[in-house]
Amino acid sequence: MTKASLERPTRRAVLLGAVSAAAFGPAAWAISDTRAAEVLGSWYKLLLELIRHTATYSPPVASRAFAYLGVTVFEAVASGDRALRSLAEQVNGLTAMPVRGQGEYDPACVLQGALVHAINAHFSNTGPTGQRAMLAMTDRLAKVAGEGVAPDVMRRSLDHGLAISTHILDWSASDGGAVVENMGFPYEYSLTEGPAHWVPTSTVAVQQKPLLPTWGNNRAFTLPAGDLCGLPAPTAYSEDAASAFYAEAMEVYQTSKSLTDEQKAIARFWSDDPMLSPTPPGHWESIALQIFERDAVPLALQAETLALLGMAIADAFIACWRTKYEIDLLRPITFIRRVIDKKWEPLLNTPPFPEYPSGHSSQSGAAAGVMAALYGADFGFTDATHEDDGIAPRSFVSFQAAAEEAAISRLYGGIHFRPAIEQGLVQGACVAQHVLKVNTRA
Amino acid sequence: MHKSIAALLALLPTIAFTQDPAVPAFTEQTANAGLATPYLGDWQYMVGGGAAVFDCNADGRLDVFLAGGEGPSGLYLNQSAPGGDLRFEPTPGLNETATTGGYPLDVDSDGVMDLMVLRVGENHLMRGLGDCKFVNANSQWGFDGGDGWSTAFSATWEPGATWPTLAIGNYLDRFEEAFPWGSCTDNWLHRPNAEGTGFAAPEPLKPSFCALSMLFSDWNGSGIRDLRVSNDREYYKGGQEQLWHVTPGAAAAPYTDKEGWKRLRIWGMGIASRDLDADGFNELFLTSMADNKLQVLNKPAEGAALLPQYSDQAFKRGATAHRPYTGGDLRPSTAWHAQFEDVNNDGMADLFVVKGNVSTMPDFALNDPNNLLLLRPDGTFYEAGEVAGVASMKTGRGGAVADFNNDGWLDILATNRWEAPQIWRNMGAGAAWIAVDAQQSGANRNAIGAVIEVRSDPPQRREVTVGGGHAGGQIGPLHFGLGAANAAQVRVIWPDGTIGAWAEVQAGETAVLRKD
Repeated sequence: MTKASLERPTRRAVLLGAVSAAAFGPAAWAISDTRAAEVLGSWYKLLLELIRHTATYSPPVASRAFAYLGVTVFEAVASGDRALRSLAEQVNGLTAMPVRGQGEYDPACVLQGALVHAINAHFSNTGPTGQRAMLAMTDRLAKVAGEGVAPDVMRRSLDHGLAISTHILDWSASDGGAVVENMGFPYEYSLTEGPAHWVPTSTVAVQQKPLLPTWGNNRAFTLPAGDLCGLPAPTAYSEDAASAFYAEAMEVYQTSKSLTDEQKAIARFWSDDPMLSPTPPGHWESIALQIFERDAVPLALQAETLALLGMAIADAFIACWRTKYEIDLLRPITFIRRVIDKKWEPLLNTPPFPEYPSGHSSQSGAAAGVMAALYGADFGFTDATHEDDGIAPRSFVSFQAAAEEAAISRLYGGIHFRPAIEQGLVQGACVAQHVLKVNTRA
Repeated sequence: MHKSIAALLALLPTIAFTQDPAVPAFTEQTANAGLATPYLGDWQYMVGGGAAVFDCNADGRLDVFLAGGEGPSGLYLNQSAPGGDLRFEPTPGLNETATTGGYPLDVDSDGVMDLMVLRVGENHLMRGLGDCKFVNANSQWGFDGGDGWSTAFSATWEPGATWPTLAIGNYLDRFEEAFPWGSCTDNWLHRPNAEGTGFAAPEPLKPSFCALSMLFSDWNGSGIRDLRVSNDREYYKGGQEQLWHVTPGAAAAPYTDKEGWKRLRIWGMGIASRDLDADGFNELFLTSMADNKLQVLNKPAEGAALLPQYSDQAFKRGATAHRPYTGGDLRPSTAWHAQFEDVNNDGMADLFVVKGNVSTMPDFALNDPNNLLLLRPDGTFYEAGEVAGVASMKTGRGGAVADFNNDGWLDILATNRWEAPQIWRNMGAGAAWIAVDAQQSGANRNAIGAVIEVRSDPPQRREVTVGGGHAGGQIGPLHFGLGAANAAQVRVIWPDGTIGAWAEVQAGETAVLRKD
């Protein structure tokens, strides 16, 4: 990955670093921040694997976990940083956080106490390998976090982290997304009648029902009840060759027949399939983690990033899923095989839920909006999320450029019409504006 | 509602359609059969648990080797009387530890069956001494047992070779704790050495993607047995299912997308192979979690090349076996060993699938019954596990469908994690059968790679293979149901391509067909 300094840091980021250093004193800050950053980075590296390897973690479910874990990290850090402001009473349903008592606290141990509890809770259902990995990580990072820390400070800090995580987990239990059965596919579901609507697109038995049809009813983190970032209706369904809808389908079809190697690479880079990648939410979290490592981002900004980014992606999925099931539009593969070419095969596997808008576009738009606000509109980076899977890194001149590429990748992949892509980005930008109303600084 | 109508309605789900196949009755004989080796152990034994079935004492009965995981393995002599209850006695001829599975193979072609023992640690190639005694032949045969976590095996004789080529499938790096994902270790190909005395240094099959089943098979009728590998997507990165060119004199190489290979990524755990429609090409059943795959080779347009491209017909033909069909647990299933065999002797190969949770994963069924999918004439499958009596809810792994009491009706063995295996005697009657034992002199005495064709209604065709399943396999006479027929003509297409003459085999007969 290309090494480059943080380009054009925002005023916000500079302020955060300065305030944090002043609060803890230069020497103490440097040591504890380093240990805390290692604790945070290591758990998040494992988190990306757990998302990939836990069967219930479809993209919406993954977004929820990232949001709650991001808030947990932020509150753990904010509880010891007077420059930061708790999210309690700012985001929907989160009440006042546990406060620190008397005595010294260690930020790395607070984070360790919070993340051990939070990650084990969110992934209690992962398989034996994930369970084994969480145990190994707990042991390893206990040593990292506790290095040079007095036993009473360690105990007090771990307990405080646990209290924060417990509070947030209790809050999460009532959002409507805590229980996921049958990998998110309902046992009963009635398809909407009419040719415009979604029908199963695969021969996988569990995917004969669509994924998480009620996810859009979940409690959002930042979206107010009066603005769930809804979208206008897509182009009216028509099988008439002269219609706009037919033209949109023909665009998908013809694009699939003339894909360049670059377009194929883009489609695969952003494919982010569940169980085979950290999912689209994890892809953006991975981008953030790479930036943390590349630029030695201060701990407070890391925490702020993980909280805002996580909530943005989660709220985008809630808004997107609400729209998807309100509109309930069929996928390109259904229309094209019905009307244009019975044997058509798109480059990517079609996801098992309605088409409009594109989930990746919505969440990428939201993620880009938040990241640009934190790091700058022209912040360039190289993304090596899928390097271990043999997919070459890609470089971007801005977060928005990455989001737009993620969005158009779904057309190259043959799984979305253009309006779902363009409106998905619009929806994501709307979500980001709501998230950025949250004040993370005191 | 009138009582009689209510009673009738209650019966409706069990009323068979006219095309539904006859369901043989199985009686579980686990309690008295004497098979007492559980598959024990924690994380390193979450996969494996295979059974090897072969006649190790030349008494004409199929004996059983059971992997024991962290516990001792078990070797059991078959004491079943013909047509009688299933009975086995432990024998001390093979005391192996840390075992995950086993496959029989007459490696040195001396007429005495040897055994490939897969292990966590060094694999052991055990030379049969007769009378169910074995000795470790790793050193004698130059076989490098490695130090991996071995979970798959297959064998073939490459054209002209006097020793077999062995493929060993290895799982992940067992010493990785926090980040085991992406740590798949190399599978190995052991080819004969130049001297013809054993094996050369193993050839790593790069890339390897955590294999849980492998099978040498002539998938395209070329006379060359390529290597199909089913891989567990839980652990690989950038991986997929694989098919390897294994061409004499050349390094093995995976088929590529440029050759038509289509990427498929599943939790590959087991391979069952059978030419279900006798069209010359094997169908493949690939076990996984939730949906399983029934792959049918795509036939090319006239004049076009045959490509290694398959369509998945599991959904269309009722073979997804994706969740329990009885017991009330609606969560997705976890499938391991799979095997095609004709259990009702109607002339069509049926499918037995062993099910069981990986551990206690809450998102997957804990009460996950084994499947017995009977093939209908129209190519669809009928779930008969519960009616037949083999719907075990234990945590299954390996298995074998074999005629343990030589009555012509195939019995069923299923191994279980943490518990002793189960065995069911097939009590079927009323349909005819034959068995065919293809043997040749010289190398490859059991004619691995041969194809047996049977003129029956419907016609039947099956390849003689060693490999596939989940961590276990068998060698013995191959079984064919005949339905109402009282005889069938049989021929062998030998591994070298020689086509044998048709021979008349009477119902109820085990025919030994030889190529000298």
